[in-house]
Amino acid sequence: MFYFFVRRLAVMVPTLFVISVLIFIIIQLPPGDYLSTLVSELEAQGENVDQEKLDFLRQQYGLDQPLLQQYALWLKGMLQGDFGYSFEHNRPVVQVVGDQVLLSVIIAFATILFTWVVAFPIGVYSATHQYSTGDHVLTFVGFLGLATPNFLLALILMYLANVYFGTSIGGLMDPKYLDQPWSWGKLVSILEHLWVPVIVIGTSGTATLIRRLRANLLDELQKAYVVTARAKGLSETRLLLKYPMRVALNPFIADIGNLLPALLSSAAIVSVVLSLPTTGPLLLKALQSQDMYLAGFLLMCLSLLTVIGMFLSDLALAALDPRIRLTGGRQK
Amino acid sequence: MSDHRGPAPTPLGHYVSDAPFDPSETEEVTAEQERLYTSSGWRLMWLKLKRHRLAVYSGYVLIALYGSILISEFLAPYSLTHRHTDFIYAPPQGIHLFHDGKLAAPFTYGLKYRLNMENLRREYTTDETKRYPVRFLCRGDVYDFWGLFEASLHLLCPGEGGTLFLFGTDRLGRDLFSRIIYGARISLTVGLFGIIFSMVLGIIFGGLAGYYGGIVDSVVQRLIEVIRSFPELPLWMALSAALPVTWSPILIYFGITLILGLIDWTGLARAVRSKFLALREEDFTAAAELMGARPSRIIARHLVPNFTSHLIASATLSIPSMILGETALSFLGLGLRPPVTSWGVLLSEAQSINAVALYPWLMIPGLAVVVVVLTFNFLGDGLRDAADPYH
Amino acid sequence: MRRRTTLALCAILAAGLIVAGQAPAQADSKTKRQLISPFFFGHSELSGALPKVERRLPRVPLVAHLGPKQTVGRHGGTLSLLVGRERDTRLMVVYGYARLVRYDDSFQLVPDILENFEVKEGRIFTLHLRPGHRWSDGHPFTAGDFKYYWEDVAHNPELTPGGLPKAFLVDGKPPLFEVLSPTTVRYTWDKPNPHFLPALAGAAPRFIFRPAHYLKRFHVKYAKPQMLKTAAAELRLQNWAALHSLKDNPYRFDNPDLPTLQPWRNTTHGPAQRFIFLRNPYFHRIDPEGRQLPYIDRVILRVSSPSLIAAKSMSGESDLQARSLEFNQYTFLKEGEKRQPYDVRLWKTARGAHLALYPNLNVADPAWRKLFLDVRFRRALSLGINRHEINQVLYFGLGTEGNNSVLPQSRLYEQSQRFRWAEFDPKRANRLLDEMGLTKRNGRGLRLLPDGRPLEIIVESSGEHTEQTDILELVHDSWLELGIKLYSKPGQREVLRKRVVSGQTMMSIWSGLAAGIATADISPAELAPTNPYQFHWPRWGDWYRTGGRAGDPPSLPAAKTLLKLYHDWETATSHAERDKAWRQMLEIHADEVLTFGLIAAIPQPVVVSRRLRNVPEEAIYSWDPGAYFGVYNMDLFWVTRGRKN
Repeated sequence: MFYFFVRRLAVMVPTLFVISVLIFIIIQLPPGDYLSTLVSELEAQGENVDQEKLDFLRQQYGLDQPLLQQYALWLKGMLQGDFGYSFEHNRPVVQVVGDQVLLSVIIAFATILFTWVVAFPIGVYSATHQYSTGDHVLTFVGFLGLATPNFLLALILMYLANVYFGTSIGGLMDPKYLDQPWSWGKLVSILEHLWVPVIVIGTSGTATLIRRLRANLLDELQKAYVVTARAKGLSETRLLLKYPMRVALNPFIADIGNLLPALLSSAAIVSVVLSLPTTGPLLLKALQSQDMYLAGFLLMCLSLLTVIGMFLSDLALAALDPRIRLTGGRQK
Repeated sequence: MSDHRGPAPTPLGHYVSDAPFDPSETEEVTAEQERLYTSSGWRLMWLKLKRHRLAVYSGYVLIALYGSILISEFLAPYSLTHRHTDFIYAPPQGIHLFHDGKLAAPFTYGLKYRLNMENLRREYTTDETKRYPVRFLCRGDVYDFWGLFEASLHLLCPGEGGTLFLFGTDRLGRDLFSRIIYGARISLTVGLFGIIFSMVLGIIFGGLAGYYGGIVDSVVQRLIEVIRSFPELPLWMALSAALPVTWSPILIYFGITLILGLIDWTGLARAVRSKFLALREEDFTAAAELMGARPSRIIARHLVPNFTSHLIASATLSIPSMILGETALSFLGLGLRPPVTSWGVLLSEAQSINAVALYPWLMIPGLAVVVVVLTFNFLGDGLRDAADPYH
Repeated sequence: MRRRTTLALCAILAAGLIVAGQAPAQADSKTKRQLISPFFFGHSELSGALPKVERRLPRVPLVAHLGPKQTVGRHGGTLSLLVGRERDTRLMVVYGYARLVRYDDSFQLVPDILENFEVKEGRIFTLHLRPGHRWSDGHPFTAGDFKYYWEDVAHNPELTPGGLPKAFLVDGKPPLFEVLSPTTVRYTWDKPNPHFLPALAGAAPRFIFRPAHYLKRFHVKYAKPQMLKTAAAELRLQNWAALHSLKDNPYRFDNPDLPTLQPWRNTTHGPAQRFIFLRNPYFHRIDPEGRQLPYIDRVILRVSSPSLIAAKSMSGESDLQARSLEFNQYTFLKEGEKRQPYDVRLWKTARGAHLALYPNLNVADPAWRKLFLDVRFRRALSLGINRHEINQVLYFGLGTEGNNSVLPQSRLYEQSQRFRWAEFDPKRANRLLDEMGLTKRNGRGLRLLPDGRPLEIIVESSGEHTEQTDILELVHDSWLELGIKLYSKPGQREVLRKRVVSGQTMMSIWSGLAAGIATADISPAELAPTNPYQFHWPRWGDWYRTGGRAGDPPSLPAAKTLLKLYHDWETATSHAERDKAWRQMLEIHADEVLTFGLIAAIPQPVVVSRRLRNVPEEAIYSWDPGAYFGVYNMDLFWVTRGRKN
């Protein structure tokens, strides 16, 4: 177990390194850099630009240096804890990000919880009553969330919430609570705003989970020990809960690793539509305006989160399922 | 307790039949049973699939949709670019069957337009005095059928001098129903090419990892991990930004499908790998190896056919994510853009609070996406359930 | 008895209150005008933290000139605005519009921060500051602040690595800067510099002064180098220049500690979603009754995703909003009027054309270049555009059709210039094309080039607005009548520019003339090939800008004349000469149809809270000149008392 742990941990490092190279390439792919993008944007809006300031910034931040050098500088800085400077916000990157990462994590977890809560009963029912009308109806409902394009659903729900419940448009809470200390009203307002993104993002994940749960349960329910138990007179519910369920819970844990990147991605799009202060809109803006260091930092954060998530889920799985940690490579 | 009409009880009290028994006797089977037992794996799969009614209906719907791609120009009442300057943002018109309580040929009412100068809103009212019977198999807008010849035969046309806006019109006065039909061409096929690309990559990488194991396996696993842990969104953005603008819309379309496929293959590779790991231990593999077959032959001839059904099921389940990916890319303004028409492009034009509040019919392409994604999912589920013959 | 005592007591109380109420109003010795200080400062004034109003204002404050429908208002109130990015804090410098010289609402240059200025021979500028004018932190605003900028910023190689900003150079030569007195400075050039004053009055102005007393502590000449090093390192900056640059952002307005002369100052450190701007106690303007401006105490800027700003405005979250609102959202905003206390007004945009088509006269393909250089081809293309239809379909007919030329509100406007070659006349267009010899057509009815290729024009756009693609669809249909096929190709801004400059783009669609409501004093640089970002002649523009080192010299005689006229304007010494140059340039453009203007004066929705006064009903929404709300004096906007109705 210990060696498994250490091995997995050791493997994470080169993974992160490769990811950092990929991230850097991706950020540099679009033509131009932050300053030229800024100039184009301002001119498109008919506004003019302070050329001297831009020249100064370009020189200061080495935007005219070759790419390899820029990458090396970035990597070196990161290892020393200096994550660079955000041009858009005119301050070091770490000062910009703060709260948004926290909110992203909160939303991610709330969504995972929601997904589990919805997927679990539907999956179980679906497996035990295969091909019945109930199965079809519930699967349909579960899949509806997957099928609808997220951004459209978010927009519609936000509009309906505004018209029918008076929830203010976009943002995490009603504007009047923004700078005020915590209160009951503030909490209620936040919940009012959170349910839309959680449902929109969560429903797209439910379908996969339902499917997995259903498949695994069906597998288990065919096995000999279930038949034996049933023959011996164990009630259906107890039968279900005692053994197959544990195996079926596998995907719930394993899937965190799969779920996280998809979650963060769709959360980004939904957050843009709903104007939530999470990493999504921040990242999108940074990528569009080529705010190099900010985009790089956020991408590294997101990847790190995912890698850690996968690592943790692998660990959990290994702890849960002895087969995983005992079998390794080729069995010849 | 045994009753003494049967055979004599054995010491353990089990039931033993004393009917005559000849071990060399073969069982009698009916013709139908014989067909069942000797049917190929595919036939078994089909039989199993038939039980899943939802999957079957979904299959029919998809065949109909994909078939419609071939004759889009014929099915659409208007051509793709036909504009009606007088009917901008017109709401959907219904086809009526009853007039004055009497059954009549399907027709639409006239549409009267008034500009409300107060809030600059276009107001449409139905004019029940004018009736325009819908024509079937009629001559309408001229179109180029697959670039081969010009034709003007349409399945449905508006009545003479009338309009047929089944799903309303957009901001240039173009019929949404026709545009959705045309858009299906791109939206439904973007998934296919991406899937093929993805499958090829998945089989190659997954196969190598699963068959050879060891270092190859580790490397491929790490590669998969790197790609998976990468957030999709920025990857899309960057890759789409890298597509040269000089490319024609067709090339860009292919580029998009490649990008979508490039990110998607990991799931398939993992499935292939685990299947290979399992199949590798099978006796027939060992037998083939002992007989001297090369790995490529073993993989192609023995291992792959064993899980083609799984592959198909997986692929069917991946296509919807491609379709949704295309809509997301269009929403972000990457990927396909007007004047190319796909459901994603249509949706991005409806993506504003304006549309939701004032012109909700612009979101109907979203419904089309939902339908297609659902049907693919149900079909894929059914296929997957049916794929494993041992259930 | 008691009754009378009570009455007497009341009378005394009343008298006392009246006397007390007079307290904030102080007589101004010079003009015998009562100066009224905002209640906002009442407490600070009493406690001595702030001096009394007559010591806060300059000796001769600027008396604001009320617009035609504006009234005198009251102090107080908070205004909430929505912006799309944190960077938009600069909008408060734009809207506040306190400048050395500024444009008034008829777009004439008048002194603002300056008490007055003199211009001799168009090249000697003497600027007189207001004695007693102070920065927002109370420190005096003097010629020393100009000196600091000139000597220690503009001429410092580390702060300005590119050398003195080009805007200061006339014919490559810098001016002579003199400080004549604590409140007078003079800039002398050898040749006339018509760009100087408009640059000072711009929406994003050239700041030629800095709060020296504040910035000196970040400058290596005045502060201890060691301290600078530690301060820079603390903020993870490389050197003192980066530190100075960070603190010194008068336009971006992101440093709450940097003193300013604008009516409101930023008090929030970023990063933030909400920026609070409080009134500047030393602001130099007063209203006709002596109240120190601005009327409004606080302006709150809230950062929100740009696509949601329309929806939020509809829910009543903004008191004054034009930014990020588009015309196609008008109906939607109008609906919200029923539920929220705001009105939606329609102003007009000020570009010569909201969107225009730019044929690339420097396109690489020789056959196409020959065609574009032929004026008959350009005239035919322009005649083939159905502007009326575009206006009806996209703007409900509310825009102004015509060429990419100045608008009726400009004094340089000539009606014939707007409509020459701009009516929809396909017959005439076809005749012109036939005249040119493009009579051969292919099977599909498209005309052919002399070498046999069909006339297919690819118009590239930056792909940001569906508006552009829509317009191109309409133009496609009308050009088909001429036998020309249009292909629309959306791209990306950056890439589009590169392609245009390298000659690969045939034609592009972009916004039109920025100086749509130009006066003769504004630079007509747009009308001549002066920079490589002009989409119709990038190489000629590059040739001019680099002094002949890159690009190609103009081959079209009209372009050469335009350059000569531009030079005439630059060296003109009188208003009349500049006016003449402008008019001639406009005439050439109208005749030669160098760009295809489409629709101008697009309606711009402006959401105004019902409690807000002095905001014009109808006005022009323009960046430069205009500064959006700036030219209409946002400091004169005031909020009525009472509940939102």
